Amino acid sequence: METILRSEEMAEIMLLPVRHHSPACSLQIRKVMEEWKPCAVLVEGPDNANALLPVMTDEGTKGPFAIYYSYYDKTGKITQDKGHYKCYYPFLEYSPELTAVRAAAERGIPAAFIDLPYGDILAASSEGKGLRKDGEKNNYNDDYLLSRNAYIRRLCEKTGLRNFDEFWEKYFELKGLYEESGAWFSHLGVYCRLARENTPEEALAEEGCLEREAHMAARIAQWAAGHGPDGKAFHGGNGTEEGLYRILVVTGGFHTAGLAERLSGENWEHTLKEAGKLSGRVPEKDQSVYMMPYTMEAADSLNGYASGMPFTGFYQKIWEGMEEPERTYGKAVLDFLVSSGKEVRKKEGYLSTYDEICAWQMAEGLAGLRGKPQPGAYELWDAVLASYVKGEYNIATDTPLRILRKQMTGRGMGKLCREADVPPIIRDFELQCKGFGLKAHSAMETEVTLSIFSGKKHRNMSMFLHRMVYLETSFARRIKGPDLQRKKDKNLLREVWKYKWSAQVPAALIDVSVHGATVEEAADSLVRERLRKDMGAGEAAVLLTKVFEMGLSGQQEAVYGRVQEMILQDGDFYSIADALKSLMMMEELSPLYSSELKTRELLHAAVRKLIMLLPSMGGIKDENLGSCMDALKLLYQVTGREHMDMGQEKEAYYDALCRMLRDTGIHAGLYGCIHGILYGSGRETAEAVEAACRGYLTGTREQMLQTAVFFRGLFYTAKDLIFIGGQILGMLDGFFGQVEEGEFMELLPQLRMAFTYFTPSETDRIAGMAAGLHGSKREDIMRLGEVMPDWYGYGRELDEYASAAMHKAGKV
Amino acid sequence: MGNENGVGAASAAMPDVNGRAEMREEMQESIKPPVEERYREELEALKNTDTGRRPANWQMSPKAVRTFILGSAKPVIYQGKEYRVEKKYFGNDALVERCIVTLAGNRGLMLVGEPGTAKTMLSEMLSAAISGVSTNTIQGTAGTTEDMIKYSWNYALLLAKGPNREALVPAPLYVGMEKGILTRFEEITRTPAEIQDSLISVLSDKVLNVPELGDEGFLFARPGFNVIGTANTRDKGVNEMSSALKRRFNFETVMPVREVSMEKQIILNEAGKLAKESKLETELDEDVADLLASTYHELREGVSSYGHRIDKPAAVMSTAEAVSVYYQTLLTGYYYGDGRMDVDCLVQNLVGAVSKENKEDLEKVKGYFQTVIKDKSSKEGGLWKQYYEARKWLK
Repeated sequence: METILRSEEMAEIMLLPVRHHSPACSLQIRKVMEEWKPCAVLVEGPDNANALLPVMTDEGTKGPFAIYYSYYDKTGKITQDKGHYKCYYPFLEYSPELTAVRAAAERGIPAAFIDLPYGDILAASSEGKGLRKDGEKNNYNDDYLLSRNAYIRRLCEKTGLRNFDEFWEKYFELKGLYEESGAWFSHLGVYCRLARENTPEEALAEEGCLEREAHMAARIAQWAAGHGPDGKAFHGGNGTEEGLYRILVVTGGFHTAGLAERLSGENWEHTLKEAGKLSGRVPEKDQSVYMMPYTMEAADSLNGYASGMPFTGFYQKIWEGMEEPERTYGKAVLDFLVSSGKEVRKKEGYLSTYDEICAWQMAEGLAGLRGKPQPGAYELWDAVLASYVKGEYNIATDTPLRILRKQMTGRGMGKLCREADVPPIIRDFELQCKGFGLKAHSAMETEVTLSIFSGKKHRNMSMFLHRMVYLETSFARRIKGPDLQRKKDKNLLREVWKYKWSAQVPAALIDVSVHGATVEEAADSLVRERLRKDMGAGEAAVLLTKVFEMGLSGQQEAVYGRVQEMILQDGDFYSIADALKSLMMMEELSPLYSSELKTRELLHAAVRKLIMLLPSMGGIKDENLGSCMDALKLLYQVTGREHMDMGQEKEAYYDALCRMLRDTGIHAGLYGCIHGILYGSGRETAEAVEAACRGYLTGTREQMLQTAVFFRGLFYTAKDLIFIGGQILGMLDGFFGQVEEGEFMELLPQLRMAFTYFTPSETDRIAGMAAGLHGSKREDIMRLGEVMPDWYGYGRELDEYASAAMHKAGKV
Repeated sequence: MGNENGVGAASAAMPDVNGRAEMREEMQESIKPPVEERYREELEALKNTDTGRRPANWQMSPKAVRTFILGSAKPVIYQGKEYRVEKKYFGNDALVERCIVTLAGNRGLMLVGEPGTAKTMLSEMLSAAISGVSTNTIQGTAGTTEDMIKYSWNYALLLAKGPNREALVPAPLYVGMEKGILTRFEEITRTPAEIQDSLISVLSDKVLNVPELGDEGFLFARPGFNVIGTANTRDKGVNEMSSALKRRFNFETVMPVREVSMEKQIILNEAGKLAKESKLETELDEDVADLLASTYHELREGVSSYGHRIDKPAAVMSTAEAVSVYYQTLLTGYYYGDGRMDVDCLVQNLVGAVSKENKEDLEKVKGYFQTVIKDKSSKEGGLWKQYYEARKWLK
């Protein structure tokens, strides 16, 4: 524990290093606060969130929750792009920072955050570093600083522990239950100092650590000198009996050493001077800060983006059992063994109580062997691995560990007290729900049917719900209705939606609040952001359909432009075919939506591009056959529409098809498909198709086997050929005669695919015709021939007689 | 044959006091002395300085077993001599710890994994440290019968005196139960399923019934008895274990080493040991070990350190194979060359090691040389260049 006495200021400062989400830190902070009786508590965290402290300490607020910081760089202070930035500062019930501010509230002493405001941290960090990393979710916690250096790697190797988290549990979490605060914090202090010494100075500067520490130190100095963040003096009479004003500072362990240096000896004067001129670089009005309910899943550091400790559910249990520190781990491990065992039994069915007993013995035995006073998270993990996993450990047998992992993460979600301030987007959401008569706060799922093509209000409501879907709020889901993205159900005239409120809805809305004050604005801004990123023609067209459904007229033009651009630039045949499909559906539905979007022009461009790419598509891979045939059929349909004015494209299309046929290396399925199209359009006779088919049948063995896939392609576009003339059927029959059993089994999937294009009555008819080829009737083949027992007996008798006769004649 | 095996295994496991010194001498002369002989002094030192609690009949405490296998930074001082306990098993410390705890409990330990992942070595070390012997072993084969596992009879004595203990020839499982020591069962899945199942009742009831001996025919296992099985995952199809038997074991899956540096260390350690046993006076070439470790590692993982995607050969690319290639090269250099390790010879041995399963494997290794080694030779030069030039032997 580092204390700094500033006798001139009559202040004593204690710097406590912590690790975020550590129950032991929380326990020790409580002890220190009881013993040392500070007069104020300062906690690491952007100081523009100070107004949220009463909400954090309110009894109605339960962890996990997060402080959400956002900044819209309107003035281009960070980069020219003027982007939107956001980050989270998650708190679990046992987060030391939360414990500190809660204890301060209980004792009636002031508490405050002391770090740079979020926007200023961004300004202080280099591009791609610290909070400016291109992560899905940036986390304010910077615990990684404690665990990513070469020193800790060597330490883990030396102590035989698998990673930093296991090291931490053994030496800090478990010891924290038994050790006296002074000793415990000084051990932690030494560790943090070593971690810092092994981190290069440049990394600290790049990630904004140095500027942040300067700010934090200045804030501490400000408090020590008797001024709160608002400049008011507050010392008078509040100190200890000796008249000292005691300030407890709780920060990430990595920063403690940096702060101590700035607050000690000759540096003090400079820090105090700096404190007099504290002001932000980044405009305050462009920053906002809210609290939001959070999930344990999101706070678990093993889930990728989070930082802090892993196994949030497990440590929550530890925290709940802190009344009996010497038993809390053992109890939690046993609880988890039993609950995961129960789940394994339910899912896999094989686990016995004896397995659970063995697992418990394993956990205890390992704790003893590893010199831990109680089994912890890693002994729990090892116990389940050794006793619940039967057989080789692989993806097929790891269910017990997957179940355990989920349980150790926990499923808890926090909640906020009523007084918590909400961003304008949530008010807009509630207002709109009210306007549309939707129950914004009902947790029961409600169904609503919208006649989107007949009523303006219903169309508006649909747009609102589509926007909520786009913002990933999990508020509503469409269960029926025309689906422009999947290109189906275009004949439906109504949309059926189900919606319900959950704690995730406000959390998701707060998450996008940086993008706008209303649901529409946020959706609009996110579309704009999406446009800045790479996408193919197919994706662009899907985005266009979404914009269309959301009724974001402001963005339609931009997305339209992007689709046009992508059709010209994209060289991916399938992506453009996908775009064409989306566009076709929009074109068909536009009169219903009474839209003025000019999709016709885009359709022409897509068709032309596809035809241009067609000749190079001959040698496709087997797995692409389906999508390629789809595209050919789609082109056939589009170019065949009279009102579309596609005369020119139509000729070019058939030209391209004929050119493809001349390619000898063409995929057999595609070859069949094209012949079917040409036959359907009257450009080829049935005889020509038959000749093509015969080519495969009479070819070399390898080629002959390709006949199956040829039929698949052919029947996809011209299945009626089989009923005309009878030649095709004869050839199919001949083909079956030629292949051997093994080959037939190999070709069966393709043949099955080929026959899926027929309706059941057609298949029936074909079977009848096939029977005719072998001199039977349709009815004959419907019956299965059975062998009567006496026939079988007779056969055996005959066999025995023949064999005896042959023996007798000396033939065998 | 069953009889002789049984006698041999039993007597090797528990030689009488007079025969011990003689046997030790013999063992040290052998190609590969058992672990308890190879590390005799170290085990003695650990045993006599051990202050931890020992499970009944264990030679040392679980902590000391751990130290024996995973090594210790602090030397052990015994009778005025300093013993540095080296790490003998690399890759997964937690696995070793789980194995030790399992063996102190009520269930058997089953080590499964790819060939050449040091399962047998680990099981020998556990046996040597816990029971003082690693030779009480059943070698599982397709021809293993129940009497090779439990017991059989000396028929001359049986005919002369009728069924009695004297006429009974104990097999490793019987020995283990009688003496309270570990019984090792190698390659358990090579043994027919019905033979494997003879372990089931023994493992759960800890009693073996010899019906011929009548009322005296119950052998109750002494504390300290347990079974360590090993099985190759590639042999899974041979004889799958019944789920009843599976339930009586804790399984540990031994994975190939994931780090090149560790694999290199293993190659050097193991080849060093072999060289010492064969009394070769030569120095190990670290760079060659590095070359070989990264080749084996990359071919096994299917991706190079530069990020090339590589076709994986079907042959087993285990660390044990790498050790044997290295040692072969060392031997060739020592006896037929100038005493140094030759890269050409290394590649020739590599060919022998990979072209076991099919011809395509060699093509894959050729492809590996053409891409990865070519790149490394141009970027890093030196030995990599020589290695690349030696590709002519890939045929």
